[in-house]
Amino acid sequence: MTMQTIALNTDKNRVKTGFGWAIGIGLFLLPLIWIDLVTYLTLTVAGISLGMLIFLIASGLTLIFGLMVVLNLAHSAFFAFGAYAGYTVLNLFNSLGWIETASLSAGILYLMLALCTAGGVGALLGVATEKLVIKKVYGDHLMQLLVTVGVAFVIVEILKIIWGVNDEVVPVPMGFQDSFIIYGVFVEYFRVIAIIIGVGVFAALQFLLKKTKIGIIVRAGVENREIVKTTGYNISLIFTSIFALGAALASIGGTMMAIFNQAVDPGMGDQFLIFALIVVIIGGMGSVTGSFVGAIIVGLSFNYVAFLVPKMALGVNFMIMAVILLIRPKGLFGKD
Amino acid sequence: MTKQLTMEEQNKFKKKVTVNNPIVYIQMSVVILFTIIPFIYPSFRLMDVMAKILIFTIVVASFDLLLGYTGILSFAHGMFFGIGAYSVALILYYSSTPAWYHIVLAVIVSLLISIAIALIISFFSLRVKAIFFAMLTLALAEFAHILGVQWTGLTGGEDGISFVLPSIFNFNQSLGNLFNTQINGRLIVYYLILICTIVLFAGLLRFIRSPLGRVLKSIRENEQRTIALGYQTFGYQIYSIVFSAAIASLGGILFAMWLCYVNPDSVFHTAIMVNILLMVLIGGMGTLYGSIIGAGFLIITENWLPELLKAIAALTPDNLIVRSMADRWQLYFGILFVLVVIFFPKGVIGTTRSFLDQKQQKNKPLV
Repeated sequence: MTMQTIALNTDKNRVKTGFGWAIGIGLFLLPLIWIDLVTYLTLTVAGISLGMLIFLIASGLTLIFGLMVVLNLAHSAFFAFGAYAGYTVLNLFNSLGWIETASLSAGILYLMLALCTAGGVGALLGVATEKLVIKKVYGDHLMQLLVTVGVAFVIVEILKIIWGVNDEVVPVPMGFQDSFIIYGVFVEYFRVIAIIIGVGVFAALQFLLKKTKIGIIVRAGVENREIVKTTGYNISLIFTSIFALGAALASIGGTMMAIFNQAVDPGMGDQFLIFALIVVIIGGMGSVTGSFVGAIIVGLSFNYVAFLVPKMALGVNFMIMAVILLIRPKGLFGKD
Repeated sequence: MTKQLTMEEQNKFKKKVTVNNPIVYIQMSVVILFTIIPFIYPSFRLMDVMAKILIFTIVVASFDLLLGYTGILSFAHGMFFGIGAYSVALILYYSSTPAWYHIVLAVIVSLLISIAIALIISFFSLRVKAIFFAMLTLALAEFAHILGVQWTGLTGGEDGISFVLPSIFNFNQSLGNLFNTQINGRLIVYYLILICTIVLFAGLLRFIRSPLGRVLKSIRENEQRTIALGYQTFGYQIYSIVFSAAIASLGGILFAMWLCYVNPDSVFHTAIMVNILLMVLIGGMGTLYGSIIGAGFLIITENWLPELLKAIAALTPDNLIVRSMADRWQLYFGILFVLVVIFFPKGVIGTTRSFLDQKQQKNKPLV
């Protein structure tokens, strides 16, 4: 009897999940009614690459939240600082005359250097923030949240002291602006690179969390911090490294976004923090897979709607978030 | 028996009056100070600072109701403030002949909008977790800022809207002199702000001392226990969110009326929210009176700190780093913010109170 009910329930769940996927995919084919196929595919590639960039920010946010229950609002500042760090590296190469004429492969090399610098700077900022500030207010979630607001403010002001308050144009390697054509669909090289980096980061995070010992400790820490502490692991070191990792991911995302938009400004962190927050809410707090799926949803719907009704682009993301909150208050992949 | 009881009650009453007395005196002197300042020292700048302190006292006190008394962190408080400011600005800007009833209309419109939005936000997020509320409101506040910048057809974009106040509030209108001070629209708006602040602040004090306010406090202390006592905490939280949103939008109306100008950066920007948070923290969360201290401190420093820093920078005119450090005076607010949260989380009033409590306990004879 019970076996039967369980079987029935899993069947029901499977049907339900399948139904959900069908509706989800159906919704994303819906814009085809108004957009012709080639434009649709172009928008899809652009949307997925935007989603991957958003995923870089959101994954750090969700990792830190999942482990430390800190909603880190300084993430937007890490993002902006990373963008400026990457911009500085690219600008340095540009002053040597390497960027404008760079081919695709040389461009990728420079990009990697810029990303490494940004990641390093972000990780340093993250370690400093965690050690100097967040550690002082452990145990009080409200105060932690508040203190990150202050940290964000300080970092952005320091950024303005170093680089000034004006928008700057980011030099982009020539090779990135080229595009190739498949079946009539224009695909910019940089979009492909963004998708590869996003998927690569996702795979690396999954590997780190699911297959390595560090990942096991981290996941155990998410479940129960006290027990991990009693088994003799240095949880404070793990906290610091996860915070640094999240900050580094945000900074890398910042550099990528700087190249994507070909511009940086001090307020850029705040704009993309909305996307990251929406993604984390949609995907479920603390779930990396959730933010991956959420980021693709947000990136795609943003692009489709921006093409059809430009003014509604951000509003649609809010509507999606509202609907998902109504159906699944914990987010798509959130744990009950 | 009955006589004894009344005696006890009388004693209680007497005690209460004597305890309250200093607070009443302080209240009275603060009100009198704000009332006579425009006549003692008629300077536009000082009046501007005083008016802003009054307005932000209200905004911060209503935020304190949410954060300090109910334990909900909302980042949309600045947005409600902005809704109030924009509704009065838009209505006066687009009406061909502004009249006093347009202001009343703006009050009604902004109250309706902010209450509706507050209800929707709380319906979506409070079901889940307090942290969701923070995230959702932050995203929404950013959205409001973007809307203010991009909806150029209505809001004028980044340039903002300047407008003229109707009838007796008009700044260019003079109604004669009193004690060597010109009675003009600006002065009348100042007193309007003062009266509104006193009324709203008294309303907030009454609100937190009502049975409803006690339930809110118990939710902050322990939500599970409050539920166990039989209270529908969800409903009470909505009360507090809606009430504070409404008051914040009224503060926004006063702010717009004082400046006769709004733009997205002055009312919707995150920096406003950070300022409000800092004011609450400096004054002390959950104290209401702290809002006056927080608003006063921050607005006074905001007005005179840049000049002080410029004076310091002028001492070493060639040093570029010192100059840019002096230009970014907001940096020091950010550092102050972090320091206050880490070392001074109870704020001025909270720390004073716990200090007084300790003193009282020391003076008590050990029984």
